[in-house]
Amino acid sequence: MHRLAQELRSILGPRGLIDDPTKLLPYESDGLAMVAVPAELVCLPRDTQEAAACLALLHREGVPVVARGAGTGLAGGATPVANGVVVSTARMRDILEVNPLDRFARVQAGVVNVDLTRAASRHGLRYAPDPSSQMACTIGGNVANNSGGPHCFKHGATTRHIQGLVIVAHDGEILDLSEPHLDPVGYDLVGLFVGSEGTFGLATEVTVKLVPTPALDEVLLAVFSTLDDACDCVSEIIASRLEPSALEILDKLTIEAVEASVFAAGYPVGAEAVLLMEVEGAGPEVEGTSRAIRKIVDRHSPLDVRSARNAEERRKLWAGRKGAFGAMGRIAPDLYVADAVVPRSRLRELIRTTIAICHERNLRLANVFHAGDGNLHPNICYDRRNEEEVARVLEAGHLILKACVEAGGALTGEHGVGLEKLEQMDLLFAPHDLDAMCRVRDVWDPERRMNPGKLVPLRACMELRTTRLEHKPEGIA
Amino acid sequence: MAHLEEQTPQPLASEKLLVDYAKSLDCIHCGLCLQTCPTFRSTGAESSSPRGRIHLMRAVGEGRLTLDAAYTEELDLCLVCRHCETVCPAGVRFGEMMSFARNRRESHSPRSFPARIARFVGLRVLLPNRIALRLMGTCLRFLQLTGLERIAVHFGRLGRGLSDLPRIPPLPARRLLPARIKASGEERGQVALLEGCVMPELYARVNRATARSLALLGFTSHLPSNFVCCGSLHAHNGDHAGARSAARKMIQALEELGDGTLSIVVNSAGCGAHMRSCAHLFDSEDPWHARARAFEKRVIDYSEFVDRELQDREVQLTAPALPRPIAWDDPCHLCHGQGIRSQPRSILARVQGLEQVQLSEPEACCGSAGTYSLTHPEESRAIFERKLEDLEASGARTLITANPGCQLQWESGIRRVGKDTAVMHLAELVQAALLEKKS
Repeated sequence: MHRLAQELRSILGPRGLIDDPTKLLPYESDGLAMVAVPAELVCLPRDTQEAAACLALLHREGVPVVARGAGTGLAGGATPVANGVVVSTARMRDILEVNPLDRFARVQAGVVNVDLTRAASRHGLRYAPDPSSQMACTIGGNVANNSGGPHCFKHGATTRHIQGLVIVAHDGEILDLSEPHLDPVGYDLVGLFVGSEGTFGLATEVTVKLVPTPALDEVLLAVFSTLDDACDCVSEIIASRLEPSALEILDKLTIEAVEASVFAAGYPVGAEAVLLMEVEGAGPEVEGTSRAIRKIVDRHSPLDVRSARNAEERRKLWAGRKGAFGAMGRIAPDLYVADAVVPRSRLRELIRTTIAICHERNLRLANVFHAGDGNLHPNICYDRRNEEEVARVLEAGHLILKACVEAGGALTGEHGVGLEKLEQMDLLFAPHDLDAMCRVRDVWDPERRMNPGKLVPLRACMELRTTRLEHKPEGIA
Repeated sequence: MAHLEEQTPQPLASEKLLVDYAKSLDCIHCGLCLQTCPTFRSTGAESSSPRGRIHLMRAVGEGRLTLDAAYTEELDLCLVCRHCETVCPAGVRFGEMMSFARNRRESHSPRSFPARIARFVGLRVLLPNRIALRLMGTCLRFLQLTGLERIAVHFGRLGRGLSDLPRIPPLPARRLLPARIKASGEERGQVALLEGCVMPELYARVNRATARSLALLGFTSHLPSNFVCCGSLHAHNGDHAGARSAARKMIQALEELGDGTLSIVVNSAGCGAHMRSCAHLFDSEDPWHARARAFEKRVIDYSEFVDRELQDREVQLTAPALPRPIAWDDPCHLCHGQGIRSQPRSILARVQGLEQVQLSEPEACCGSAGTYSLTHPEESRAIFERKLEDLEASGARTLITANPGCQLQWESGIRRVGKDTAVMHLAELVQAALLEKKS
């Protein structure tokens, strides 16, 4: 490792490589704090060229590579792997171009989601996908996980907004897949790459689509006396073919945590559930949709329905929702966020199931989720130092995912599979499906050195050689 | 030499005592703080981020990490701007954790002898002693007048930091305020006012403007005579014994001033933030804890006080002659440390004819951070670069702030790049605007 570190440092400069064991410690986990694997080295390239030189060297040495953005992911996608090197995009934060006429922007992968939106807003545009961690997470990380966010209900997840990529392949080759137009000619490699969780290569530059900031947006808050009512209300809004831009539900415990935090939004403490809705578009359209929504809400015995009076109130209502995960830190030392998708007609039933599963295992549960997408986020409180509790949490997480898949749902809405959901992949996929995925992966990374042991289960990919690197003859010096 | 003796390593009952372990558990590793951190933004290293530093503290608490050089480096690199606290949904009290960790680091893993001497002289000899501070001011002025300061550049970090200082005014301009400054016209009330430790040497004019503007608003200011420094720099740098000693002197002096209940108006955001949370320095059984709690409640920032007065009386102000447009920059310990954001803006909005522009990141740290610009001049300048770009993009020709450290950083940074943007304390603007109104 010492020789490798020296060579990497000669590519990246003295501040571009971290090899001090103390300074490496914070990299051992990402947002999935229950898993920790020590990183051997962290590379901080500044541009595509440096990243390519770095990956070419790691290819020659046969060292596994884990890409990392801001490390805010919740599925362990950026957790280091044994004997592997982390390549972080934290020093690749330049916005290369904002083109308001053709409505796209070209950014380095380490640009923070909210910084891109801020740059676009000067031109009356925005980057639509807005994960709750948008003030910290990077566009590169969003590409890796095909991230969602409240507004993806209307606008679609990250993959719908990526026009082009510059990718550094496993061997250091630079693939420029920047398309000047929206519809790719030939195979849509960019589409294939989005959501590959760092297993295909390292995205270093991203061209994103920008959409106009809506003329008007209205934020509605409905308060319910039961979580069931809130769920049913969402199911009916969906069934009525209405298209608000976001539909979010927060339960009682979440409301309490948010209201006690710096993101206090004015949600009524004590309510069993609130439904946060946003309608955007031109004036008459917004008016019509909100009127129709209010009618539906009224049928589900709300305690209160109100609309935000001004921009500041709208901002606060959203900040509260987006800070919900972190705010739960007030309630428990650690938090496990499950991420499952269910048919939107069965929200009530599956929310009840999550509550029952956690109740039986004596676990505290908070539900805060993208109801419009049917994307559940049961947040289970635990303490990572209590092994027995961690086991119960994992079991609950597994059962929740199983129930969702059995109901016709999916394993992940936006967080990705990472390490966290590897075990559950065979709930959704048959062995031959997983084999097919491995064959696609092999096209991009025949040595399986890119983020090994993530996304596709080990046994399916027979990835034993990467996890037992020490036995490899040309292993790391 | 009590301070030096205190630094001999002591056996520990548990590693947990090396850091504020209980507070470190509040962090759930979500990472929302990362991009607000000036040192993470400039290095890209997660060990230089709030989440990373908490991770290190936690590792120390769990016995997985010793107080090694890299740990010390990361603790020292932090500016304690507390921007991370503003965005932390879990309510992690990072500033207090950092102060605690620094304190334990100092006592259990001593620095080199020269470094300890420098800390001792700075924190224990200079800051609590008016005569020593005066002497230092005079020496610096001598160095500046003779041009010898340019030689200081060759004497390590501290020398480079010193050469950045603004001109020290002549002694008459550095005169101290009298013990009482009467309200002009009808007296509406009385307040306690602090001059601070370094302020009279560098910014006596700001102190005069503070007292004068309070007088013009009808308030008589009383100045305590028997203490100098509030101890915020001590707490910030992990010298809790020094901070406690300063706090005791300060609390006593202000209990004895007037009827002992006067509001304490503070024109330095860094001091104010510390004074509002100094009780945590004392154990809850210590009688000083209760006295500190009572003291904390009396502290009010200058902008809060003036804004309330202007609002109550619906005073409109007229813009004085100054280069326009102006921009307001939030001192970290005002916005992140005390949650004061609207009051200075509301005061500025009252000044008619004051053309204002906005910085795009007014809440980002300028890199001053107490003694940081002296101990980490390179890092401090790198952080300031972003602020300077922000200032230039805004087109402002006068920058308004409300903390001596920030004012210093802005003045010396602007001078270094050869710009002519003026820098003012909010109190200077208010004074000028009140006088403008009178004339």
